[in-house]
Amino acid sequence: MIPVIPEELLFTDQHEWARVDGNIATMGISFFAQHSLGDVTFIELPAVGQNLSKGDEVCAIESAKAAASIYAPLSGTVTDVNTEIEDDPALINSDPYGAAWICKIELSDLAELDSLMNAAKYGEFLAGQGDH
Amino acid sequence: MSLKTTLHDHHISLGGRVVDFAGWMLPVQYEGVLAEHKQCRSSAVVFDTSHMGQFIISGPDAAAQLNRVGTQNAETMDPGACRYGFLLSENAGVIDDTILMRLGAEEFLLVVNAGPADGDFLRLKEHMSGAVTLANRTAEGWGKVDLQGPAAARLLQPMVNIDLAAMGYYRIARSECCGHHCIICRTGYTGELGYEIMAPSLELRAIFSALIALDEVKPAGLGARDSLRLEMGYPLHGHELSETHNPVEAGLGGFIEKGRNCIGASVIDSLKETPGDRKLIAFRTESRRRTNPGNDIIADGKPVGVVTSGAFAPSLEISIGMGYVPTDLAKPGCELLVNTGRCELPVTVCKKPMYPNGTCRTRNPL
Repeated sequence: MIPVIPEELLFTDQHEWARVDGNIATMGISFFAQHSLGDVTFIELPAVGQNLSKGDEVCAIESAKAAASIYAPLSGTVTDVNTEIEDDPALINSDPYGAAWICKIELSDLAELDSLMNAAKYGEFLAGQGDH
Repeated sequence: MSLKTTLHDHHISLGGRVVDFAGWMLPVQYEGVLAEHKQCRSSAVVFDTSHMGQFIISGPDAAAQLNRVGTQNAETMDPGACRYGFLLSENAGVIDDTILMRLGAEEFLLVVNAGPADGDFLRLKEHMSGAVTLANRTAEGWGKVDLQGPAAARLLQPMVNIDLAAMGYYRIARSECCGHHCIICRTGYTGELGYEIMAPSLELRAIFSALIALDEVKPAGLGARDSLRLEMGYPLHGHELSETHNPVEAGLGGFIEKGRNCIGASVIDSLKETPGDRKLIAFRTESRRRTNPGNDIIADGKPVGVVTSGAFAPSLEISIGMGYVPTDLAKPGCELLVNTGRCELPVTVCKKPMYPNGTCRTRNPL
């Protein structure tokens, strides 16, 4: 039931992922994050043009049993948001690494990439987290 | 330390996510809150409600003595009847909301919330005397499961030896279920047709196993229980009801007869004559964004009230809630704001229930 962690993704210890292509990162939350939240009922998307520093809150997310914040894995400017998940937040549960990307960020500091975990490291990190 | 119900190992093996609730370890969900909620509205679910207090009050003078403690008029209940009511403080604050059930001429069952259960028991004990005896069924290992959903009667009928078609809403009977003695009442907290089944520990385990073995029944947790009750506008102890709230402002004064002689009743009578200045409202939003208990309710730029419950309503696909506001702002249609901490969310006062299609009162349960 727990899917394989996509190899090309980078992860934060707050369970956000980033898929980096040149100087653009697409971000979302991990399978672990959506599973911990339970059924997602609401997501507030960031604004296009919003400047983010790594670790800033990107948006709020609510589930049937919890509310949480999602943080920027990397610094940059929001260039695109996925309005589809605003209308159908359940996508975040069903396809967290695919259809439920949250936003795209034009990166301002590529050196920050080194601070994120690759898929193998994130897998080890999860193994130390207990229930997942 | 949290207590485990007799069904605890079932919750674990069914994948339930167990949390502490009023001192008990209970599942907040199994498969997911939304799926469990929808299953209850469309078919049937079973909840473990063994944390709730079950007290037996018996003896020739039981009805008269109960009448001095709780708001239900026990003396006018016929055997088989259930009545909703309250344990009140002297100034009519809600210590607990309860269901009193008359099992026989001299035997009553009182079902209470888990949090205040110990205090409720002491309170009853204080007021019982002579030949009336009081037993704490929960402490003796009894538990309870709630089978709730439009298919509940059809699914339960083959397992019991009473005629569910003949059993009305808010009625109780002794029965066998899967060959075990139990108590069944047609009550619940979801708005759907349903039955609460009370039995000793081992018997309850057998009954729960038999129910979840049915294809049309899924186990459901506290998350769905809360969203289901909120869609119906049912109050939750500790949220809408507390010692700082009275039943009249909660819109529940109709459950208390005029001229009752129990603790707090005279205050209730005068509150009905001269209502207080706040009222419990239900509200709906146009958003999926949730309000939370404790959020301020805003009118004309000023905080005027407080949210007591807020959640995403799976049947309505919007967020809904309840809260207390000044009486002049409590009319359906009245537009207010709720400060969620992130934004001021527009809300509209609406009538209860927010979900109008509940099957709990159906005359044709089968």
